[in-house]
Amino acid sequence: MTGLMKKRTNTAQVSKYAEAEFSDDNEIEIEVKDLGVTFHDNSGNEVQALTGINLEIKKGEFISLVGPSGCGKTTLLRTIADLQEPTDGSIHVAGRLPREERMMQKFGIVFQQPVLFDWRTVQKNVELPLELMYYSKKDRRDRAKEMLEMVGLSDFADSYPSQLSGGMQQRVNIARAFAIRPEILLMDEPFSALDEFTKEKLHEDLLRMWRQTNKTVLFVTHNIQEAVFLSDRICVLSPHPGRLSAIVDVDLPRPRSTEMKFTPEFNALVEKVRNSFEGGSI
Amino acid sequence: MKKIVQKKWFSILFWVVVLAVIWEIAASFVAATKRGPENILPHLYQIIGAAFSTQKVNQTMTASQLVLSSTATTVFRAALGFAIGVVTGFILAFLMKLSGAVEKIAFPYLMLIQMIPILGMAPIILSITGSINVSRIMIAAILTFYPVATNTLEGFKSVEKEKYELMASYAAKKRSLYTKVLIPQCMPYFFTGMKISAPMAITAAILVDTLQGDGGLGCVLSQSLRHAMSIYVFWLIVFFSAFLGIISWKLMGWLEILCTPQKRPSLRKKRPGSSEETLKRKEIKVCTREKSRFGKRFHRAEVSGQ
Repeated sequence: MTGLMKKRTNTAQVSKYAEAEFSDDNEIEIEVKDLGVTFHDNSGNEVQALTGINLEIKKGEFISLVGPSGCGKTTLLRTIADLQEPTDGSIHVAGRLPREERMMQKFGIVFQQPVLFDWRTVQKNVELPLELMYYSKKDRRDRAKEMLEMVGLSDFADSYPSQLSGGMQQRVNIARAFAIRPEILLMDEPFSALDEFTKEKLHEDLLRMWRQTNKTVLFVTHNIQEAVFLSDRICVLSPHPGRLSAIVDVDLPRPRSTEMKFTPEFNALVEKVRNSFEGGSI
Repeated sequence: MKKIVQKKWFSILFWVVVLAVIWEIAASFVAATKRGPENILPHLYQIIGAAFSTQKVNQTMTASQLVLSSTATTVFRAALGFAIGVVTGFILAFLMKLSGAVEKIAFPYLMLIQMIPILGMAPIILSITGSINVSRIMIAAILTFYPVATNTLEGFKSVEKEKYELMASYAAKKRSLYTKVLIPQCMPYFFTGMKISAPMAITAAILVDTLQGDGGLGCVLSQSLRHAMSIYVFWLIVFFSAFLGIISWKLMGWLEILCTPQKRPSLRKKRPGSSEETLKRKEIKVCTREKSRFGKRFHRAEVSGQ
């Protein structure tokens, strides 16, 4: 931890393709074993949100968690991020407990809502996590500028969040998550509140940034097309109780473009995912 | 015509005229039915005349000089009490946020203090402190702290769960959570509390003035009402203290704008053709620039997909 206290002046490489790590393809980043999460609802009844989840995610992989509402996909993401305690089983991230990883600031989280701070300009919003990590002022500014350029919002650096449209706010949110160069990016239905056009553009943006930075991405969604378009593998969850019912490999070539969505291969995969929900299609 | 009605100055002018008319009707009515030698509700021109007359109302001062000099005393004490109340209120809200136990113990009883009528509380505090100055400041502070405390606490509670979780994911320390999220977010609420309580502090200070004679607006107010001074002085003070209340409220509004950049009026304007419109245009520009980076192939695909 003491290492983090020092100002990281030397890590400020302002190259667009910085920190692209070339690691062993088979290295396991996230390991989930027999995970179970149980909640207590208001009347004191036990609700099984997740049960018997086993999952291994490789480093640099793009994984989607797909399922109907109430299947525990968000709970799984939150448990990995150490925002939720597991009841049974265990999770290891890079061989450590989620809490240790969180304290080492290895996670970047993108929520469904763009959780921006009204009183900070767009640039200062992106700088916030860097402030918490004791980056120097110059490094913060450079990094934020780089990130805003990546999401195409350089012109809005000095605007306040309330001046931006919903799609732009979400792009700021994503820029902020990428700014700390997290080892693992956890995204909880980040695009579900956006219109189709903005969504398609952000899909392209996200894939481009992922290609450039080569991070592990865990992406929660209830949109099957979105999952197929973005992911390497899709984990299909089924509700009552939340469990992992299938893992579908997506073997579409990369880089992917919007026109792929109209190919038969793409639609076959969408169909495959749709049919893997237990108890038939949804 | 419609445009003039929507202007702010029009509504102000409208109310000034309506109130003046009502006032004059009432003044004529009272003048016709009065029993005492002095008209308790004088005409507006008489009050304005009194404000500019050079006739001395006591040994040394004219009406306006008297009002202004007693205002200085009152406002100074009200401001001091207000400052004490604001600081106490903020600290209380902070403590209640830090510890649920403090909130449970303190909050219901803080409300009780507010329920005691100020007229009942003032003589007690005066007899305890023995000094009209100290009790004036104390009463102003007591009236001030509660709106500030409740509103600030409300502001602390308005912070969404996601913001806590976001800060947790950055492994932020509690101190950073407060300095970077909770305190900035509660600022608009804090200022709302101040806006409510600033005129209250002035009212309280005037009210306490009436209890004992040693200067201050309230003191002169009660004297003039007992015919020790002209009735015009009384009305001058009533108008002037209303004006003070409005000014204090405005002052808090300006302070708020100074302290919360996102609330600057230039950002709130959403007229067609202003900020929002240009923003959208800018976004479209950005989008097209992005597309051209992806090349024509992508652009064509999107067009055919529509």
